[in-house]
Amino acid sequence: MSAVETLRPASPSRARRAWTFVRRLPLTGQIGILILLFWAVTLLTVQFWPLVDPLMMAGRRLQPPSADHWLGTDALGRDVLSRTLHGSTYTIPVALMVVVSAVVIGSALGAAAGYLGGWTDAVIMRAADVTLSFPPILLAMTVAATLGPGLPNAGLAMVIVWWPIYARLMRAQVLEVRTREHVEAAIAGGAGRGRVLVVHILPLCWTPTLINATMDFGQVALLAASLSFIGLGAVPPSPEWGSMISEGAAKFYSWWIAFGPGMAILSVVLATAFLGDGLRDVLDRRGPK
Amino acid sequence: MLRYLIRRVLGVPFLLLGVASVAFILSQSTKGDPLSALVPERMMNNPEIVQAVEAQWGLDKPLPVRYVVYMKNLVQGDMGTSFNTRRPVARDIAERLPATLELVVAAMIVGTTLGMAIGLLSARFRHSIFDNAARGFALLGSSLPIFWSGLIMLYIFSVQLKWTPGTGRLDARTQAPEGVTGFYTVDALLAGNGGLFIEALSHLALPALVLGWSVIGIVARLVRSSLLDALGQDYVRTARAKGASDRVVLINHALRNALIPVLTVLGFTFAYLITGAVLTEAIFSWPGIGSYAVSAARSLDYPAIGGVTIVGATAFLLANLVTDIAYAWANPRIKVSG
Amino acid sequence: MNTTSSFKTTARRRGTALLFGTTSALMFGSAVAAQDTLVVGRSMDVNSLDPSRAFCDTCQIYLTAVYEPLITLGADNKTLEPKLAASWEHNENFTEFTFNLNPEAVFSDGSPVEASDVVWTFERLRNLKGSPSFLMDGTQSIEAVDAHTVKVTVDAPNSEFLNKVSAPYTGILNTEAAMAGGALADETAATADGAEGWFLENSVGSGPFVLVNYAPEDELRLSRNDSYYGTAPAFAEVVITQMQDSVIQAQALETGSVDIAMQIDADTAKSLDTPDVVTEIIPSFNFVYFAFMPGSTAMKDKLTPQVREALTYAVDYDGMIEFTVGGNGNKIAAPIPNGFPGTQNLEPRAQDVEKAKSMLAEAGMDSGLEMVAVYPNDNVYGVDLNVMMQKLQQDFAQVGVEVTLKPVTYPVWREEMAAGTADLTAVYYAPDYYGSGQYAAYFGMTEGSTWVSRAGYQSPETVLNEKEGEIYAQALAASGEEAAAKYEELGRELMADNVIIPLVSPNLVLAHRADIDGVRYSACCNLPLAEISRK
Repeated sequence: MSAVETLRPASPSRARRAWTFVRRLPLTGQIGILILLFWAVTLLTVQFWPLVDPLMMAGRRLQPPSADHWLGTDALGRDVLSRTLHGSTYTIPVALMVVVSAVVIGSALGAAAGYLGGWTDAVIMRAADVTLSFPPILLAMTVAATLGPGLPNAGLAMVIVWWPIYARLMRAQVLEVRTREHVEAAIAGGAGRGRVLVVHILPLCWTPTLINATMDFGQVALLAASLSFIGLGAVPPSPEWGSMISEGAAKFYSWWIAFGPGMAILSVVLATAFLGDGLRDVLDRRGPK
Repeated sequence: MLRYLIRRVLGVPFLLLGVASVAFILSQSTKGDPLSALVPERMMNNPEIVQAVEAQWGLDKPLPVRYVVYMKNLVQGDMGTSFNTRRPVARDIAERLPATLELVVAAMIVGTTLGMAIGLLSARFRHSIFDNAARGFALLGSSLPIFWSGLIMLYIFSVQLKWTPGTGRLDARTQAPEGVTGFYTVDALLAGNGGLFIEALSHLALPALVLGWSVIGIVARLVRSSLLDALGQDYVRTARAKGASDRVVLINHALRNALIPVLTVLGFTFAYLITGAVLTEAIFSWPGIGSYAVSAARSLDYPAIGGVTIVGATAFLLANLVTDIAYAWANPRIKVSG
Repeated sequence: MNTTSSFKTTARRRGTALLFGTTSALMFGSAVAAQDTLVVGRSMDVNSLDPSRAFCDTCQIYLTAVYEPLITLGADNKTLEPKLAASWEHNENFTEFTFNLNPEAVFSDGSPVEASDVVWTFERLRNLKGSPSFLMDGTQSIEAVDAHTVKVTVDAPNSEFLNKVSAPYTGILNTEAAMAGGALADETAATADGAEGWFLENSVGSGPFVLVNYAPEDELRLSRNDSYYGTAPAFAEVVITQMQDSVIQAQALETGSVDIAMQIDADTAKSLDTPDVVTEIIPSFNFVYFAFMPGSTAMKDKLTPQVREALTYAVDYDGMIEFTVGGNGNKIAAPIPNGFPGTQNLEPRAQDVEKAKSMLAEAGMDSGLEMVAVYPNDNVYGVDLNVMMQKLQQDFAQVGVEVTLKPVTYPVWREEMAAGTADLTAVYYAPDYYGSGQYAAYFGMTEGSTWVSRAGYQSPETVLNEKEGEIYAQALAASGEEAAAKYEELGRELMADNVIIPLVSPNLVLAHRADIDGVRYSACCNLPLAEISRK
């Protein structure tokens, strides 16, 4: 129910603005939005769908797709379609949490670094530099190994990997916007430092972050899947897409086991890439038109 | 610009110190008692054995002391002994690093060449069927989990079509070429052994393609968009107004300027490739540091985890440095920040 | 050094052929007859190449190829046959064993195998206190009677001692060569021996092969021992090449880039339908089991013998074999492999959900029992422990018991076993030699056994069953049918403990190229490489 409510427009003018915005997106971006909407609805309502239990045996094991099991069954006789759809409630929220946490933490630190300068800047950015010096998967693997397997730990590992990207992005934006006339006017007008940052600077800085976050979303989902493949991600029996694909890879000749989650992850990565591209076209005025 | 370069180069040792410290702290705080990897279960109750093992592996000293010892040894190229292989980590890595670099370099060549070609053609024939299909193909490479696409490619090209040999760097029956560079393809050529070169190349082809595929999209997108950008610039418009054809404008005027941004993305691409290499190596039984890192992480072999993280980060840092320098050199007007 | 240059020419010759004719991967290797190489694809689990420290399946293969024990196990996987010892005797109550060495036997450097080498090797094995040191448990004295006679005295009757010295870990080392590499055999060995690294590059045995090169998780390369005193092996060279998973091994076998693979799971093996590959599916001596940990912090007073028994009725044993290995396995009663002494008459457990429910209700445990299962995140002998435990989770859920799964890496698992935090676990076991005694020592609920300390943790009284110690001692003092009867009695006790619950003895998929001959699976030695030839 809540899903429907959030989808219902708050006021006609805002709805019209959103609609105009979507109309301005290229076709691929619109497709991206459609795919993401599908997954959003799925993950919120999948428990009410007439699907078999994703954790329990539903038929003979390793059955190819049939009328009873549209995407076949896995090594434990569980329905792959049901598992794939339920998988959205693991992979997507984790990717979302990782991106949101990384954006919030990274942007806050980046803004502080860019706006305050001096020692704050030096400490934060050197920490970011060191973190960015690690190849992402190596750092994520090491952190996940340190914390032990499990999706939450894998998520934490990925936040650690991702925050510096947003810190750099936000810092660069803040540095640029800070010198604009209206900001200098506000400072001259005696506005407090915090007020200047929040009211006059930050609203102008979020575009690149938004575009990047959209595109990263799919990549985070992929990295989570990779960690599951290595054995440092989701723990069974949860139908996380990455661990389902690794189960499918182990039973390679039963290709349908990996097909469902593989297509699911592919659709999310493609959708976010499409949407990210679209957003850039529309929002980033300096970009190619 | 010179000042910027000097600052970047001088920063490297400090970054490395940071990297090594983080690697040390992470590996030392690993969940799991190293003793359970080192002492046979039946001997865990034998204090004499446990003490001897602790002393042998330096586990009896407090953490700060271990840190100092580790750093001191590290400077001399000693990264400790692997719990898993019982050999010096530095030696394990030295033996395996060339395999990873060969794979990554080959993948980079595949990725940038195909990426630039696709980007160029996409810009030339933008919004055509080719443009969309090529971008779709490129995007697919970075959207499929590599540990799955790798298996599929192996099945198609090796098992079904028999175009490429199986996994590994060489056929198991073949002795590796005498090591000069550690790149089997290059070493085989240096030894004048054409057959061996072809064998090494045919083994390299599929993993390099799978891995390179994952970055085609990044490069293609960048080339396409910066070409389109360049096409909108005044000088291009002028050239066009003077009657130059699309093709001439694209090649002579736009491409040169569009290539500069490609330089910037190479460092970034490298990060992608290292990440992909870890998984590609696991699938293709490629004896590089990626598969080494995976087994180290799985068995909590922390001298190895520490070593491989440091080496990986160093390679990554240097790649970024080279890119930055190349970029600064190619585009002196760059506004330097950070 | 000779070998190196000849490989290079082979490579070049093959390469040139390739250059002029074909791009097919199938052509690799087929042209070489004079210097034929056998390739085995394996996920290598090597922990050491030092016979007294090694403890793994690949180690068994390697040690069997390079070293020789006094006695070996025949092809029937039961009979002991001479190896370095041409003959042996023991006294009536199995406390003194005399071995007469084959005077022909020489090490790979040409020096003769002498009684002193046996004494030194056994003392080192005992004093190093490594994983296989248990093979020398109870040895009182090991002495050289003369240059070719060794006498071993043990402190209690041990009818299995002869079986123990057929384990590949007891392979005899060339004393002088090993000492030059830093090996020690005296009491200080456990702390002062520094030869582990040296053994990764050198082999000092009398076996049919010698070590050429070992690159961890890449390749293990052996070549024919030119001074071998016995029948020379058919292959001049053997390479064990790293192949992580079942699918890759199957594909490599199909393309011909490996000759033998024995870690292909039964489901994947079904896809191998080419006439070039022969797939034998044979019963193995390995098994996977789950275990209750009644001594864990959370399970105290909950996992009583009655509750444990009830839960064993909840398990779908037939389904377990179907789900873990696609039906390619056997049920197993006690934690002693089918076919080992004393297992013949043991009846495997069967599912009875109603009985499980009523027994749980009686014990007041029909709802609310929650357990944490900690187990290694491994895929062994074709069984994915994750799949097995998910099945167990489902079975237990049917009787109202909730299991949380916690797969961990092996070292963390060992740590958790020592910490009393796991209520349930699952793991695997493969024999080190032919004999039921090793299972009594490992799984028996007797003071100080591995499983008493794991399952009992700080309250060993929850699982102790001292009767098993007595039966074990009686079995060791007997032999033949009499010993088998004792092991059967022991098996029944182990089953009544309801602590170790064996689930599946997976069949072994022994797959090889059709032109390969002489491949067999051995209970002690896994894959005896020297017996293999190309048709």
